[in-house]
Amino acid sequence: MSEPSRDPRPIPRGSKVCRRLFGPVDSEQLRRDCDALMASCVQEACERWNFDFVTETPLEGDFTWERVWGPGLPKGYLSAGPRGIQDNLGGGRLPSSSPALLQGTVQEDHLDLSLSCTLVPRSPERPEVSPGGPSTSQGRKRRQTSMTDFYHSKRRLILSKRKP
Amino acid sequence: MELLCCEMDRVRRAVPDGNLLHDDRVLQNLLTIEERYLPQCSYFKCVQKDIQPYMRRMVATWMLEVCEEQKCEEEVFPLAMNYLDRFLAGVPTPKTHLQLLGAVCMFLASKLKETIPLTAEKLCIYTDNSIKPQELLEWELVVLGKLKWNLAAVTPHDFIEPILRRLPQPSEKLPLIRKHAQTFIALCATDFKFAMYPPSMIATGSVGAAICGLQQDEEVSSLTGDALVELLAKITNTDVDCLKACQEQIEVVLLSNLQQFRQEQGDGSKSEDELDQASTPTDVRDIDL
Repeated sequence: MSEPSRDPRPIPRGSKVCRRLFGPVDSEQLRRDCDALMASCVQEACERWNFDFVTETPLEGDFTWERVWGPGLPKGYLSAGPRGIQDNLGGGRLPSSSPALLQGTVQEDHLDLSLSCTLVPRSPERPEVSPGGPSTSQGRKRRQTSMTDFYHSKRRLILSKRKP
Repeated sequence: MELLCCEMDRVRRAVPDGNLLHDDRVLQNLLTIEERYLPQCSYFKCVQKDIQPYMRRMVATWMLEVCEEQKCEEEVFPLAMNYLDRFLAGVPTPKTHLQLLGAVCMFLASKLKETIPLTAEKLCIYTDNSIKPQELLEWELVVLGKLKWNLAAVTPHDFIEPILRRLPQPSEKLPLIRKHAQTFIALCATDFKFAMYPPSMIATGSVGAAICGLQQDEEVSSLTGDALVELLAKITNTDVDCLKACQEQIEVVLLSNLQQFRQEQGDGSKSEDELDQASTPTDVRDIDL
């Protein structure tokens, strides 16, 4: 990437810091563990957002996913970066997932589309679940996620005892 | 273009923002959110089967040496340790992956905090090429996923300036106190018993230990002893007894590190050069307890 000669912080010749700590590393095992952990990350995200991020298809769940058209999106979401290349390798699955959305614009549609999600009440399908409170279920149409969704804050007892 | 190249040497940084450092809302917000970024459990007991506490110390020492040799920003190392601890608190990991994880965590922390971050290639060389840049990049995604992309963790460093600004110190003593406090913070990050403490407590204890240590040689503070601890505890809403205990633990860690250092020096097996590289940011040796 950058020329080594321009590195402002070169590694000193014969640096003692360059060392392996726990013996040889098994590349095969690294690959297997990496794949397994990535799969579990994808699975967690899939359950969290009821969205299949591999095939980019919405699933059943709390969130309703809908396509958003290109013009209103910030540029960063539209670029055909590595993700766009991957999409092409994936084999044109996006148009097939919902052809109705591709009306009109034919050229490179999948790059100009994005998805937005909204948290909707599930009550429409089974109104008997909350007969008394249509207003409350309407009220939580959109909910923004916050850090607390990911981390539970809790107080801990610090330092069990103090030496006299 | 040429002018730009000339400026590459030194990292330019903004002056401290007094409005932020003196505003109580900033400190309060830091105190409110800091615990979100603590590891969720003591993972040697409940998660890890292969990794032992001494291995964490080995990888932490190596990471500190890399950060030192690369002259990373002070907060890179503690932040990287925070990532490592949070990852290990959730994912059972074989010990052969530990150095790779340490490299990944430094990679991420450096990108978050530095103008010129560490490169993947360089970090791989520091592992004696036991891992490849491609592996580092793949595991970067794994670690990001497991940390839920929450990288802007609160570290003890975030509290140092707000604390120092609230102490009645003569300003010319502040750089020395700050430097020593940073050294204590780095020491704490290498020791697992501090991994679950709130960063504010480590920062407060480190400032306390720094002032107490320096006070023996010269007058650096008008406040000492209990009065100092009480003021420090008040600044970060910490329990006074907890803070005293924390400060004592920090001093114990310093002592054991000093003993280790003297032993190594006594062995004569290492050159002075090497010892300088391996030591923490300032001269911990100069601190006399």
